Amino acid sequence: MASPLIRTEGLTKRFGPFTALNGIDLDVYKGEIHALLGDNGAGKSTLIKILAGVHEPTEGSIYIDDSKVTFRSPRDASGAGIGTVYQDLAVNPLMSVTRNFFMGREVCRGPGSFGALRMDEMDRITHDEMVKIGIDISDPGQAVGTMSGGQRQTLAIARAIYFGARVLILDEPTSALGQKQQMEVLKTMKRVRSRGDIAIIFITHNEVHSRLVADRYTFLALGEVIGKGTRDELAGSDIRHLMAGGVEMADLEQELASIS
Amino acid sequence: MSTTDTAAGRREADRLQKGGVFAQLRRRPEIGSFLVMVAVIVGIAFASNGNAFNALGLKNNISIIAQFGIIATAACLLMIAGDFDLSIGSMIGFAGMSMAMMMKHGLPFGLGEATPFLAFVLTLCMTLFLGWLIGTIVVRSQLSSFIVTLSFLFFLRGLTEVCFRVINQSTQISGLPDFKETSWFADLMGGEVFGFFFDAWHALGGNVNRAGDQWVSGFDARVFWWIVVAAVAYYVLSRSQVGNWIYATGDNRESARANGVPVNRVRISLFMTTALCATLFAACQVFDTNTADAAKGNLKELEAIAIAVVGGTLMTGGFGSIIGVIFGAVTFGLVANAVFFIPAIDGSYYRVFVGVVLLTAVFLNESVRKRITGGL
Repeated sequence: MASPLIRTEGLTKRFGPFTALNGIDLDVYKGEIHALLGDNGAGKSTLIKILAGVHEPTEGSIYIDDSKVTFRSPRDASGAGIGTVYQDLAVNPLMSVTRNFFMGREVCRGPGSFGALRMDEMDRITHDEMVKIGIDISDPGQAVGTMSGGQRQTLAIARAIYFGARVLILDEPTSALGQKQQMEVLKTMKRVRSRGDIAIIFITHNEVHSRLVADRYTFLALGEVIGKGTRDELAGSDIRHLMAGGVEMADLEQELASIS
Repeated sequence: MSTTDTAAGRREADRLQKGGVFAQLRRRPEIGSFLVMVAVIVGIAFASNGNAFNALGLKNNISIIAQFGIIATAACLLMIAGDFDLSIGSMIGFAGMSMAMMMKHGLPFGLGEATPFLAFVLTLCMTLFLGWLIGTIVVRSQLSSFIVTLSFLFFLRGLTEVCFRVINQSTQISGLPDFKETSWFADLMGGEVFGFFFDAWHALGGNVNRAGDQWVSGFDARVFWWIVVAAVAYYVLSRSQVGNWIYATGDNRESARANGVPVNRVRISLFMTTALCATLFAACQVFDTNTADAAKGNLKELEAIAIAVVGGTLMTGGFGSIIGVIFGAVTFGLVANAVFFIPAIDGSYYRVFVGVVLLTAVFLNESVRKRITGGL
């Protein structure tokens, strides 16, 4: 097996006396979708914030292609090829698709920040990249507010890839969407996976979604890894069991039944 | 590979009709303000028997419009980025005081006589610093710009009055010599421009006073400055990289930040831009009339915001246009001046009108926003 594209070793994060993460080991391979599952408070968001350069780890290290990296800012992380698509701060609804796509990285001609936007070129690139990922927008000038939630996530994913993301972190990309749009996002993820050169970290609450697309799983509970494995190694009941943080489903059912 | 295929083969993208030219036009943010402007122009032309648009009427109206336009353009840019500046009016008073005082009493610290250019440059340094200070406080403290600039509204107005009384013993300066005669800079700010327009008008047989000579010789210089400010602002907002940053900052600040937009720099620069435009406003006023007054610029900040809103700028940021602000400034300027051409009406109807138009504009903007985002 090839070595992982991104790997963490003993990643620990403490906020004062509170230990959010306690020694996380994670291996993510390219061309794979790696599902990161866990209940609220398991440490999923702390973990991705460390990978995205928002937080620095207290202990432990991150390796990309087997060389150690340190992120001091989100800029460092995106420079190293980590693209994070956050659930709610992905896009600006009142701006056009093109203007969103190139937000902060506009193509211009002329002096510094006051250079003229090359709108035609940006429109063309946006259209082409969106088609590649499976959405044919008729008018790149239309406001993002007119797009469905799934399309917005797709736009954010296409943007991250276009600007050089090799590791794509998707933070609950399906959770705020309707059924059909969820499927659209999952389809997008599979298309990205089939390119073969990008590793996807898929954070989710949803066991069904993870089983539809994921190749490899890591389960977090209370800041620690409580289980990991490939799709073949894990049976459905294991997944459900680990998702609940290691509590037996039967116990939960019993507890629920006792309240009446 | 098509997206969301349904039974009928429709796709998500098909749900937004592109529509014809008319539908596209209806989706422009400026359309509401354009219609209001046309109505006001026609109404005032009719009610004043055309006097509002004879040579002198045109000059006076456009002068007021330009004054409104200069500050409203800056207010619009700032609002698109999601902030307000309530200190514009007090900044005008402060800058006017500063320039007139230097012209009358010489440069500070006994540095000798002031020229109009030097007075302007020194004043501009102070106001830009104030703009930077306001912006930095807003950005660093994460307080709402409304409350920070409100405190500067009081602070600067008070400071202006205190300086006037301490140094000048009076809150007014008048009787300054006419610097336009001697200084190219004063002439650039307070003189006349576009004389050819009125020359041509005269040559064509109009623009004649009672004595039979040419009546009006040119527009006030602030018209030129308004055109410069509006043109630069239009380019920056609609055509440049910074423009995209301004929209992004106002639409969803966190998303803009996450995508590498220098949000703080954009916001601070825009507070400095409003300070710049307020100073320009004051310079045109001071060198035109050769007077200054501690009450100059009073309420101008609210008029600037009102014009920006009437021009289609959203109160919540992220959306607006300079073209709309031009229409808004024309509307406001004409109505503010209407009392001079229609003697029968009470001047206070101006504010009645402003109230009505403002409320209408807010409703209209909301519906435009819904149209643009496809009602979602």
